[in-house]
Amino acid sequence: MSAEPTGFLYPFIEADERDSSGLLADLAVSAVAKMQESRSLRAATLERCHDAIAQAGLAMAERFAAGGRLFAFGNGGSATDADGTVHLFRVPPSGRPLPAMSLVDDRAVLTALSNDVGFELVFSRQLIAHAHDGDIAVGFSTSGDSINMLNAFEEADRRGLLTVGLCGYEGAAMAVSDAVHHCLVVKSDSVHRIQEAQAAVMLAVWSSVQRCLAGGREPR
Amino acid sequence: MMTMMEANTAPVAEAGPAEALAAAALTLARRFAAGGTMWCVAPEWPSHGRHIAVEFIHPVIIGKRALPAMSIDSGGGAAALRLLVRRGDVLVVVSTAGNAAATDLLDRAEAWGLTRVWLGTGPRPAARRAEHVVWLEGSDPALAARSGDMVLLYHLLWELTHVVFEHPGLLEAPPGCAGEVCITCSDEGRVAEVRSLLEGGAVEVTIEGVVETVDATLVAPVAPGDLLLVHAGVALTTIGASP
Repeated sequence: MSAEPTGFLYPFIEADERDSSGLLADLAVSAVAKMQESRSLRAATLERCHDAIAQAGLAMAERFAAGGRLFAFGNGGSATDADGTVHLFRVPPSGRPLPAMSLVDDRAVLTALSNDVGFELVFSRQLIAHAHDGDIAVGFSTSGDSINMLNAFEEADRRGLLTVGLCGYEGAAMAVSDAVHHCLVVKSDSVHRIQEAQAAVMLAVWSSVQRCLAGGREPR
Repeated sequence: MMTMMEANTAPVAEAGPAEALAAAALTLARRFAAGGTMWCVAPEWPSHGRHIAVEFIHPVIIGKRALPAMSIDSGGGAAALRLLVRRGDVLVVVSTAGNAAATDLLDRAEAWGLTRVWLGTGPRPAARRAEHVVWLEGSDPALAARSGDMVLLYHLLWELTHVVFEHPGLLEAPPGCAGEVCITCSDEGRVAEVRSLLEGGAVEVTIEGVVETVDATLVAPVAPGDLLLVHAGVALTTIGASP
């Protein structure tokens, strides 16, 4: 121990740190800052993407009104966003239930395709089997670079589906792909903040779809 | 009801959830450090349960340790978890306050000796069913579950838990307290789950993850799976029926 009592300046490097009150206060401050960051990013993204969300919502509503179905996909945390989206459309808090299917729901299909043809084709092969002209493909990716997502969008585009992509950073490959008709980019480099904002964007898209359908476009 | 834009930008008191998340993260890191597993259940929104598990087991930031987390679908959740959990594990539940599957699991988890973290939305629960309650108050549950607010809560739980790992001196719970479950050390009685019926009104129960024999004559008849409130070796009341 030196004569200068400076240990209090560096409490975090002490292996014998015992009082958690300082850490708890720091954690709470950090949480508040990140909550504000998340809220700001969501608000800014909704504002910047306002027109793109409205256009995607209208195009999707037209497909639904004509009998189209939605297919959602993504990897990892984005797979759970795809599942959540399917739930939102099929079991909506208000408005009309709409036909939506998750391409990450069936573990037999996922492992069979991954094992036999490769993970890069795990979504596109399902679209080949299920999807028709008039359907909708919605894919979530934070990087915008996932090869199985890009393959799925290209397959969906070839088959006449409407394609909607959500991604982060600057959009990467998804943002410049002609196969992604409506690309909604969350401009952030934090995977967590991107996913939070993507949820808000998808909720806004869903809300737009419901408004368009309520505006008189009934299924024939 | 607020529109989504308003919900995302309206000033809200952050102190509540932020402090609750900090305390939950400290507990969670300590449980992981002691070898515990985190079990995740979201009866109304199973995708949130799966998202929490993948977050912890496959960190988005390279170099962060993979932590044992697993989601369980709530259908048959109690039966599966009863077999899988070990005393000292953590149960994370995402739900509204009134979801029966959630509250049933939280009550059983106390008998199984788990630390409980309850992430919720909508009206705040009246009863304290978890050591850590992190609540999105004043929000429409259906929207909070999809607006990014709920995802934000467990992203922060993950982020803060990994900050705690940078403080090795704090990863051991302070002496004199067996974990964070001090509420059950008190005089209030302890939650017990019935395992089997014995002779003479006695039953074998699980209390805080330990098998004990208690006198159940006051609450007879009971069946395996029932939850009892036990004080000094005597079951005083039934608090839940077997599902």
